[in-house]
Amino acid sequence: MKKYSQQEKLFNFGISFLALGAFPLVWFLSQAILFRELTDLISRNMLVVIGLLVGSSFVFLLFSGMERLIKLAPRERRDSLEARMFAGPSLFMIGLFLFYPAIRTIYLSFKDRYGTSFVGLENYVWSFNDTEMLVTLRNQIIWLVFVVFFTLFFGLIVGWLTDRLNKGEAFFKSIVFMPMAISAVGASAIFKFIYEYRPPPLTQIGILNGIRVSAGENCYNNRVIDGSLKDYADSSCNRAIGWLQQRDLSNFQIGQNLESASWLDNVLVNLPLNTVLLLVIMIWAYTGFAAVVFSAGIKSIPTDIMEAGQIDGASELKIFVSIVVPYIKSTIIVVGTYMVITVLKAFDIVYVTTRGDLETNLLAVKMLDEFSKYRNIGRSSTVAVLIFICVIPIIIGNTYREKENSSI
Amino acid sequence: MNRNNQKWYDKPITKLILVAIALTWIFPIFGFLLSSFRPPEAIKRASWWESIYTGEYWRELTLQNYSEVFFTENLDRSFYNSLAITIPSTIIPITIAAFAAYAFAFMEFKGKNFLFMMVVASMIIPLQMSLVPLIQLFKSGIELGGITLIPALDINGTFVATWFAHTGFGLPLATFLLRDFMMGLPRSVIESAKIDGASNMNTFFKLVVPLSISGIAAFATFQFLWVYNDFLVANVFLGVYKPENLVVTSHMSQIVVGLFGEAWHLRLSGAVISMIVPLIVFFSLQRYFIRGLIGGAVKG
Amino acid sequence: MKKSILGLLVILSMIAVACGGSSLEGEEVFITGALVGNDAAGFQENFDSFTEETGIIVSFQGSDNFEQEIQIQMESGDTPDIALFPQPGGVVDAAKRGYLVALEDVGVDLDEYKASFSEYIVGLGTVDGVAYGGAHAFNLKSIIWYQPAEFEARGYSVPETWDEMIALADQIVSEGMNPFCFGMESEGASGWLATDWMEDIMLRTGEGTVTYDKWVNHEIPFNDPVVKNAATLLSQIMHTEGYVVGGTDAIVSTYFGNAQDPMFSKDANGNPGCFMHRQASFITSFWPEEAIAGAGTETTVFPFPAMDDGLPKAALGGGDMFAVFTEGNEAVNAVVEYMLSPTFFEAAAQRPDNSRIYGHVEFDSSLYSKDITRVLADAITGALAENAFRFDASDLMPPEVGAGSFWKEMMNLAVEGPGYIDTALNNIENSWP
Repeated sequence: MKKYSQQEKLFNFGISFLALGAFPLVWFLSQAILFRELTDLISRNMLVVIGLLVGSSFVFLLFSGMERLIKLAPRERRDSLEARMFAGPSLFMIGLFLFYPAIRTIYLSFKDRYGTSFVGLENYVWSFNDTEMLVTLRNQIIWLVFVVFFTLFFGLIVGWLTDRLNKGEAFFKSIVFMPMAISAVGASAIFKFIYEYRPPPLTQIGILNGIRVSAGENCYNNRVIDGSLKDYADSSCNRAIGWLQQRDLSNFQIGQNLESASWLDNVLVNLPLNTVLLLVIMIWAYTGFAAVVFSAGIKSIPTDIMEAGQIDGASELKIFVSIVVPYIKSTIIVVGTYMVITVLKAFDIVYVTTRGDLETNLLAVKMLDEFSKYRNIGRSSTVAVLIFICVIPIIIGNTYREKENSSI
Repeated sequence: MNRNNQKWYDKPITKLILVAIALTWIFPIFGFLLSSFRPPEAIKRASWWESIYTGEYWRELTLQNYSEVFFTENLDRSFYNSLAITIPSTIIPITIAAFAAYAFAFMEFKGKNFLFMMVVASMIIPLQMSLVPLIQLFKSGIELGGITLIPALDINGTFVATWFAHTGFGLPLATFLLRDFMMGLPRSVIESAKIDGASNMNTFFKLVVPLSISGIAAFATFQFLWVYNDFLVANVFLGVYKPENLVVTSHMSQIVVGLFGEAWHLRLSGAVISMIVPLIVFFSLQRYFIRGLIGGAVKG
Repeated sequence: MKKSILGLLVILSMIAVACGGSSLEGEEVFITGALVGNDAAGFQENFDSFTEETGIIVSFQGSDNFEQEIQIQMESGDTPDIALFPQPGGVVDAAKRGYLVALEDVGVDLDEYKASFSEYIVGLGTVDGVAYGGAHAFNLKSIIWYQPAEFEARGYSVPETWDEMIALADQIVSEGMNPFCFGMESEGASGWLATDWMEDIMLRTGEGTVTYDKWVNHEIPFNDPVVKNAATLLSQIMHTEGYVVGGTDAIVSTYFGNAQDPMFSKDANGNPGCFMHRQASFITSFWPEEAIAGAGTETTVFPFPAMDDGLPKAALGGGDMFAVFTEGNEAVNAVVEYMLSPTFFEAAAQRPDNSRIYGHVEFDSSLYSKDITRVLADAITGALAENAFRFDASDLMPPEVGAGSFWKEMMNLAVEGPGYIDTALNNIENSWP
């Protein structure tokens, strides 16, 4: 170990500070201030062009600048400096933009509505006693169970079956994947159209109500037959239903015929239909993602194993269950984890369709509501922390898995 | 690899199930798309399947919904805004993440594993949690014990705020995926380059990046789509009260509230228009995207 | 030689600057608000003549989620110059948190302001004696829309008391039709229509305006018996079988702007979907195009029925109030001055789809495009004069309640049924800050 003199130590420290601290800060500030001033000074079009150019290239300046500065340091120090230079910006930004707010949020969850006085665990007690919060938590669990299961289920089926095809594999995968490209707002608009309700005697333009209302003799969705209008006003016809407002199945035949005798019947009658109708949107969107990932995993299964199964005369289903699934188990877990995280953060779909009204609320929406509607910073932060808590076990589990794998 | 199994498995039942699934998946878009070509009063009067059944549909076909949305105030300006936000918000996080991924994959430094675990952990943090602290950060900076760590910049409402917000939110996943991808690259090649004395920068730019291009492209597509389709971050950090600050998503949601209450005809065409760009991007980059996803996830 | 030319130039430029009244040319002022659709277009039109005169460009952006967006904007420091709050309560709240500029500080003459818009109104936007809220347009809420032709054809008479209205409703139900249209979906504001019903009832029960004021100021709790009575009567309308077309599903699923559509549609038997729709005067701009022309004639209003003869007639109304965020900006000051002048609303008033009523007492009401608007405007001014005009309660309460729990609990009440009344009122009471 070469011993450094005081001077050299100082010099080294100076370089570190300059390259990893001062320079990036200046880089960030210059961009920020530049745009703040420019915004009002020049025309919008110019601003857009400058924005595009500067935004896309400036970041390279950051790294090349840091590299130049590092070259000033003695050779032995360079490697460790470089490592920090490479990883630094990412870690710094994650720390500043995600960890700092997260910690601040945890801190605020113990405070009152204005974020000033300390209230201990009061907000947490509230979150497990308040009816709306309990409903929100219930919904979150329902979403987790259904979305993760069905996304994995359909994803596996599509991934497996498309692999078995001669032609058209990419075609089917693309169709199922397409919803991922559509924004959550767009997907919600599409499904809102399907679930649309209009009060009688107006025409039902959503297909669910359209079918419902036309079921039955002499029941028509305002069709003109032989010059006269036929509608669904007759009492023997089904009336239209506000699908996204159904908190349970009590409006349907099923709900009315079932006695709450058995446990299963009880659950069925109380099935929150609107929540289910909303989570379907997420399944629709994410199945393609799962399918694509699984498809890749399946392709990497060595052929000899597959052939062995065929030779033994095993049926397709058996091969799938006893060979394929175990082989891609870790892929399934990765996708599953990603889906769990995505569901816990789910926001757009509920926000754009029902705003969380009528028992469809999810944690992420509730958090924003507590902040901007009810103006309770303490509670809003508490809800956010709850989202965290749910994910931690999964992350820990995954990290152990990583460790296991890398030690192999 | 599997090619010799083809005939044995290419059963009609496979095709049947897949067709059924494909139809179910495309059906929602189908009805929506069809309806967007119907005039508003027709949309209200008869459902789209009725109009097809009675043959009215073909007589009703019109582009008026699209022209109404398209030529309303400055949709193109919003489109440019969206681009001005999306492109840098894709390039910046990918660059930063690529450097970091390289460091995690090929370099040694103190606390590397712990820090990476932190990166993974940060993926959970929902962006709503960061919204308010970030807003305040961008407006008034951070002070710790009287020392101003970051000065009060008041940059909310500028492009820069959105770039950094999106970068912050996209970095965890980007770093995670790219590092995973790089770990899967053939180490021997990289090692030999280092032995030959290549600097880290050179190895990075000339060797690792080209090898990782599909992973980078995959994430770039993902990030592009996410940022382009985003509504919340643009609303909060760029602001919506200045008409020139609107991005396509917020502009759409404003038009669509529109004229006579319901305005389904505008909502339909508006949504379709907003989907066109992402779909084009998606279909053209699909190949890389899929290859990249594969590379990243399967190694796990 | 050079010196004198220079001197001349200097003098000329000074004169130019001094005479240049259009020094504000090209300045931009940004306004946000909750107005959408036709209302938003009308509001923007009001500034056309102003821009021509002064060169100041004013742009307005409306949004259904205004209440939430403005919160985030205030928090982030990125606020518009002026915001048109749909609730004076929002103005009061923002003022208390220190985000607003007092009207005096942007050059408003308070005495003139009070004389032009009435003290009651100005008082709504005042905090600790300082006026922050600029009055704008009003709407009358104590009205029920109906179609006289339909009533005549079936021999119905216009109800003048609550009991008469219930009797009429029962009659309509017995004839196999639905009496009321009721739809209150409104994105983040869903539920406000039910609060309107409750407010109208509160004004006509208990001690009338006295109890009403106590209710707004939280001098009586939200679960007070008078309030509970109002909620019970509201529930009678919402929940009685057959009263509302489409039932409670319609109430919570139908966008308020479309809630009256069934009245304009006939089913296969030639019956309209509903006969009565209690809704504010601004609803006409949401009607289907063909129906708007008949506002005031084919489709007109009767006043919300009286409920207690002992009480004086009261009128419920709402309106927006604008507030200023930017100080020391001459363009903004000019805009504010214009917005409080008697001619401000001329462009919007003349639009065929306009239904809003400008609050300035000197406004030329003959400019309103529709007779009905004029009639309603007179009703408002009359009520104001007798101190019988009351502003929408939920708009005056703190936003946590008035734009939060009150609305939400109304939605819940609609689906849960009458048994939920106590829980709803208790929940709202508990949420009062």
